[in-house]
Amino acid sequence: MKNRMRLGLAGVLAICLTGLGSAEVIRAQGFGTTAPPGIEKGYGSKSAPIHMEVFSDFQCPACRGLYEMTLRQVIANYVATGKVYLIHRDMPLPNHPYARTAARYANAAAKIGKMESVISALYANQDRWSANGNVEAAVASVLTPAELRQVRELVRAQEIERAIDADVALARQRQVRSTPTIFITHRGRTTPLPPGGVSYQLLKQYFDYLLQQ
Amino acid sequence: MRRMGLIAGRLLLGGVFVYAAYTKLAQHWTLFAFSINSYGLLPEWALKPVAIGLPWLELVLGLLLIVGVGLRYVATAASVLLLVFFGVMLRAYLQGLDINCGCFGLGEPLSAKTLVRDGALLGVSLAVTVVVFLNEARRNRQPETNSLPNPQGTG
Repeated sequence: MKNRMRLGLAGVLAICLTGLGSAEVIRAQGFGTTAPPGIEKGYGSKSAPIHMEVFSDFQCPACRGLYEMTLRQVIANYVATGKVYLIHRDMPLPNHPYARTAARYANAAAKIGKMESVISALYANQDRWSANGNVEAAVASVLTPAELRQVRELVRAQEIERAIDADVALARQRQVRSTPTIFITHRGRTTPLPPGGVSYQLLKQYFDYLLQQ
Repeated sequence: MRRMGLIAGRLLLGGVFVYAAYTKLAQHWTLFAFSINSYGLLPEWALKPVAIGLPWLELVLGLLLIVGVGLRYVATAASVLLLVFFGVMLRAYLQGLDINCGCFGLGEPLSAKTLVRDGALLGVSLAVTVVVFLNEARRNRQPETNSLPNPQGTG
């Protein structure tokens, strides 16, 4: 009899907690969604219901893995269909000697509307330029000679440095400790994704859940 | 004294389990699945059932610890679960993985602090389990003592 009463009590508590859980009382930390001043490095439409920010270092192998295995599919299936706006944020790490140079090229390419192909080339050729430091050779493979000239000039501009610094400052403000780090913003709420475990299959299910809200 | 210690241990563990379950059930299961996946131990197909099932298991264990039903089984299960958590976290820490603990929802990095905390909880859980079994053994011995023949020989 006593055990039955206890079990009943446990049941009532469980129902109360489930109710609280489904109401999503716990809110993710409010990080704010204001973009830092600088160069816009987004893929897709800004009016997409989901904004996905990825803090990356072009010389980091895990960032390449995320780009090749996950982000390419996100771009094809969610960015291209207007559901997700994917934002690249720079976080060149001090232990990667060519990461900042690569970030300069990516930002310069963004200024002339060639960010997507340059980022793709930087990751595809990461092993090569990480070894010899020749970032420009990787970038040159996807630009016309005229575009490359423009990018070369822009790479030295203060505006590019400021854009990278703004991203780094944002990363510090959000307490980003490693790359890649992902933040998802939906309906004004920004949620940091746990580092290291983001696969396309899981991300797809999370996006589909958010889009149904 | 032992009784008070047992109650305190049960309530502490139960509370922690319920809170851990609550933080996970309050968010979409994929967020916990990302954390599980970052440990790199489970295949992709196992992530969803574990991410959905584990918080419920924690909730049930926590509630049963608090109300004190089936304590031998519940305390043992809690200890086994905490041992698994601790082992998995220790492995990831020694591998130098820069990941989240996943213990109480989002945003808690795996660190020496989380390991010490989970180790302490494991210690409490093992102590509760031992005391529960000792109490049970003592209770089983008591009827034999009571049935000793009356030395006055009134029968």
